[in-house]
Amino acid sequence: MSIALNAPGTSQLFIGNEAIARGALEAGIGFAAAYPGTPSSEIIGSLAQVAKDVGIYVEWSVNEKVAVEAAAGVSFAGIRALAAMKQNGVNVACDFLSNLVMSGIGKRGLVLIVCDDPSAISSSNEQDTRPVAKWLDIPLVEPGDFQEAKDMTRWLFDLSEELGTICMLRSVTRIAHARGNVKLGELPQIRHKAFFDQVHDLSNLMPTRYIPVPSPVRHLFQHMRLNRAKEKFETVPFNRYVGPRNPELLIVTCGSCWLYSLDAVKALKIDDRVGILKLGTLWPLPEKFIQDHVANAEKILFVEEIDPFLEQNVVEFIASLPSIGRLPAFYGKRSGHLNAYGELNPDTVIKAICSIMNLTYQPRPVDFSSRAESFKKSHVPERSMTFCPGCPHRATFWAIKNALKLDGRNGFVTGDIGCYSMAIGPAGFMQVRTMHCMGAGAGIANGLGKLGQFGFDQPVLAVVGDSTFYHATIPALVNGIYNKSNFILVILDNSATAMTGFQPHPGTGMTAMGEPTDVVSMEALCRALGAKVEVCDPFDLKSTTATLLDMMAQGGGAKVVIMRRECELVRSKKQQAPYRVCVDEKKCIGESCGCDRLCTRVFLCPGLIWDKKAGKAKIDDVICTGCGVCADICPRGAIVKEAR
Amino acid sequence: MTTDTKAWKKLFTEVIDAGLCTLCGVCSGFCPYLAYHKGRIAILDNCDLANDSQCYQYCPRTFTDLDALSRTVFGSPYYHEPVGQAKKIVIARSSDVRIRTKAQYGGVVTTALSFALEKGLVDAVLLAKTPADKVPQPFLARDMESLMQCTGSNYMACPVLYGYNQFPREGLISGGKLAIVATPCQVLAISKMKHKPPQNRFSVDGIKMVIGLFCTWALAPDRFYVFMKEVVDLADVTKFDVPPPPANRFDVYTTSGIVSLPLEQVRQFTMPGCAYCTDMTSEFADISIGAAEGIEGWNTVIIRTEVGEELWQALISNGKIEVSELPAQNLDHLKEAALLKKKRALNELRKKSGDPKNLLYLGLSPDWVEKLLI
Repeated sequence: MSIALNAPGTSQLFIGNEAIARGALEAGIGFAAAYPGTPSSEIIGSLAQVAKDVGIYVEWSVNEKVAVEAAAGVSFAGIRALAAMKQNGVNVACDFLSNLVMSGIGKRGLVLIVCDDPSAISSSNEQDTRPVAKWLDIPLVEPGDFQEAKDMTRWLFDLSEELGTICMLRSVTRIAHARGNVKLGELPQIRHKAFFDQVHDLSNLMPTRYIPVPSPVRHLFQHMRLNRAKEKFETVPFNRYVGPRNPELLIVTCGSCWLYSLDAVKALKIDDRVGILKLGTLWPLPEKFIQDHVANAEKILFVEEIDPFLEQNVVEFIASLPSIGRLPAFYGKRSGHLNAYGELNPDTVIKAICSIMNLTYQPRPVDFSSRAESFKKSHVPERSMTFCPGCPHRATFWAIKNALKLDGRNGFVTGDIGCYSMAIGPAGFMQVRTMHCMGAGAGIANGLGKLGQFGFDQPVLAVVGDSTFYHATIPALVNGIYNKSNFILVILDNSATAMTGFQPHPGTGMTAMGEPTDVVSMEALCRALGAKVEVCDPFDLKSTTATLLDMMAQGGGAKVVIMRRECELVRSKKQQAPYRVCVDEKKCIGESCGCDRLCTRVFLCPGLIWDKKAGKAKIDDVICTGCGVCADICPRGAIVKEAR
Repeated sequence: MTTDTKAWKKLFTEVIDAGLCTLCGVCSGFCPYLAYHKGRIAILDNCDLANDSQCYQYCPRTFTDLDALSRTVFGSPYYHEPVGQAKKIVIARSSDVRIRTKAQYGGVVTTALSFALEKGLVDAVLLAKTPADKVPQPFLARDMESLMQCTGSNYMACPVLYGYNQFPREGLISGGKLAIVATPCQVLAISKMKHKPPQNRFSVDGIKMVIGLFCTWALAPDRFYVFMKEVVDLADVTKFDVPPPPANRFDVYTTSGIVSLPLEQVRQFTMPGCAYCTDMTSEFADISIGAAEGIEGWNTVIIRTEVGEELWQALISNGKIEVSELPAQNLDHLKEAALLKKKRALNELRKKSGDPKNLLYLGLSPDWVEKLLI
C-alpha cells in the first residue's frame, strides 16, 4: 500500500518504517535524506517511491553525516526535513549533530529517525542510541507500536519547530520491520517555498546565522529548550499507564518492550496485580508523570532494549525526589533479571516477572526445546551464512585467498561493512581479519602499511564495497596515497548497495527518485588522487589473481584494484544466465579424484551439490545462476560451462 | 606431539619446510591445493587426504626405495655404479648445425626429441621453457618449431611435472604418447609413478621416453633473479653456462657480451634440496644427456634402457647424430664427479638427520652407503 494514500481515517497495514514515512508526509516534509542501513532503509525507500507524486525531494546521500547536514540546510531554508539512519549512522553524523544542537535549526522542523538493531541481526555492532540523545541534549521519543510510529513522527516536527531543535525518534527492528494497522491522518497540501532568510540589511549587524558559538550560552539555551520539552512531555498521549491503582509490581517500559510487557502480563493473567508505565518520551523524562505513578510502587521492573537507559535515569530521578521515604525495589538489568544485551521478548519478560513475584509459568512442555532442536536437525539442512550463487564476491575472495597464499608473505585482508563482511566466514574462505565500521578497513590498512621500518612485510588488502567506498573510504585512501602507506584498496564494485536492498549510490548513475545522473567514476577519482588503479573482472580468476600478485609484489604506496562485476541479484533481473553449467559425469570421479571435493567442500557455492549416492558433484539447476566460475576451479575440468 | 596424517602437512613438514624440495613439481599442477608460484610450492587450502596421497607419494624427497624403483625401470635391483645402469656411454652431437648453434652443447636432446616427434614415436614433449621473464615454465612442445624455443639450459629449477599433472584438465587424459625431459629429481619422481601408477592422471604408460639431464644443482628462480636483476638486465640475457671445472665460473651471455660471475656467488642461490641429491646423471632415465667435459660442442650420452637403445639406434641409422667414443679419461671424470655428488649428499643427509644410519628419504642399504663413502 502506498504511504501517500489519501484516505484519512482508514486503517492501513504498514511496517513501522512506512508508518514513520507516512507520519513525515502528514507533517508536510519537503525533504528527506538517508544512507541505507538495516533496519532503517524502508523509510527513505518508501518516501522515494512517492516523492514525485507528493512533490517532495528524497535522496540517498553518500553517508549519514551528509544526509543530516543536507536536511539541516533545508530546515535553514524554511522547509521541514527528515534524516533517517541506523545506529551506526548516528555515530557518523554525531560531529555535525553536536554542533547543530548549539546552532539550532531553521524555522521549520528537523527530525532525525534512528533505527537501532538489538541483537545486531543486520549490524556489525549492537548499540543503544538513546544515550546519544541525552548526551546531545536533544528530545528523544520512541514509539511503542505502529500507530505511534506515524503519530509521533508527525508530532515531532511540531515539537522540533516549537523548540527550535532537532528531535530524535528512536525505533528498533521489531517496530521498523514488523507490520501493524495504522489509521491515516490528513495529507497536507503544501506549496513549499524555500528561502534562506538572512534577516540582514545594512542597519542590522546581526544577521541570521546558524553557528555554534558562543557555545556555553548556546548550551544553556539548549538546556532551556529541554526544560520546555519536559513540560510538554507531561501531557502527551504517548506516555500512559495501564493497570490497577496500587500494583504489586510496576513495569516501566518503552518501544517494542511495551508490547512484550503487555503480552507477558496477559499470559501470566496478572493484569490485576501488575501495572505498566509506558513511556513514549524518553528524554527529557516526563518527571511529574513518572512521579505520580511510582509514588505507591514498592517494586519496579524496567523492561527496555538494549541499555538500562530508563532504568538509570528513572532510578536517579526517584532517588532525587525530596519526598521519597523508602526507595522501592528496582529490578531490571542491574539486578540481573534482564540482559543489557540482545533483544528481549515476551518470554524473557515473563521470566523476569515470575522471578520477582514468585510465580511459575510453563507455556509449553519441558522438552519442547530439545524436541525442536532434534526436529531441526532432521528436517532443516544445515546452512552457514554465504554469498548468493553467482555472487562476484565469492570469486573475488577465491582470487584473494590464492594470491595471498601464492605470495607467501602472510598477507591478509582488512574488511569492511557490506555483503562481503561475510568473508569473515567460510563464504569468503575466512579471509577477513578485521571488521569494524564503514571505511575502517582502509583506515586500519593505513597504519599497517607504514610498518616497513619495523620489519613488517605482510601485504595488506583493504577490501571495501562500492557504496562503502563513496561513504567513508575516500579520506583513508587520500591519507594512504599522501603518506605512502603500503596497502592495496580492493573495491568490490558490484554496482549496488546490495546488503541493504540495492539502493543507488554515486557509482550507479541513478538517484533515489529514479532520475539518471552522471556516475562518479571510482577509477577516475582514484587515479586523480594519484593511485595506481587496476580494474579486474573477478570471474576471470586467473588474471585477477595475477593482478593481485603483481600489485603486492610492487609494494610502494597505496594502490587500488577494482573488482567489477554486477551483483548477481541485479544482473539476473536483466539478462539470462551467461552459461549453462553442468557436471560431466564421466569426468567427475568424486572421492577417487584426489581433489578432496574442492567444489563442495571449499568453494561452497550453494549451486553445487555433493551427490552422496553417485559420489559426484552436481549442479543444482534451480539455483545455479550460470556464472561458470566453478568450471574454472575444478582441477579435472569436470564442471562444464557452455555459453548460452 | 601429535602426528598429522594429512598428506600436505607431512609434505610441508618433511620436505618443503625442511628444505628438501627441489621444485620438481610432481606434487602440484593437478592438485588444486598445492600451487607453484615464483620458485615456491604454496598450499592454498586445507586438504584432508591422508599420506598415501599422490602429492606425498611421488615426491622424490619422501621415502624412496631405490631397489624397488630400479626393478620397475630396469628389471634389476639398484646398481651402485656412480653413473647408474648404462648400456653404453658415448659422446655425440647433432648432425643439424641449426640445432647445434642454438643448443647448450651438442644439441642431442633437441635432435632426439625432434626425431621422436617427426617419426610419431611421441605426440608431445614435456620440458622446461624459458620465457622472456627468464623464469622457466613447464611447456608442451608438439612440433620442431616449439621445441626449438626450448633449447639451452638456464640452470633454474623448473616444475616440469607440474605440467604433467595438468594434462587431465587440458584434455590430454589418455592415449597420448609423451616424452619428458627431466632433471634427476624429476626422473626419480617419474620412476615412482611408474612403480605405483597414479590414478586418474595422464597414464604413465603414455610416457614413452624419459630423457634425463645431467644436473649438479639447480637455482631457485625467485632468489636468483632478485640477485641477477642487480647484475644485468634480464631481458638482454641469451644464455647461461657453467663451463667445466676448473673454470669455477657462471657465464651470463647477454646481447652485449659475456658477464662472468664466480660460481660460488651463484651457488648460494641453489635450491636447498639439491644438497641432498645423490643423482648427477638421471640414473632412472631412458637416456641421460649432459655436457662432454672438455670437448666443446658435444654431449655425453648414457643409454640406459631398451627404449633408450632403440631410439639411439634409430637416431644413428637416420643420420641425425654423430657419435664418437667417450675418452677413458672423460669417463673417469664423469664417474668421479657423480661419486662426489653422492658422497656430498649422503653426508648432508646424515648431518641433517643427526644419525649416520638415517638418510631421511633415501632407501639405500647401509652396506652401500659405507662403500660409497670410502
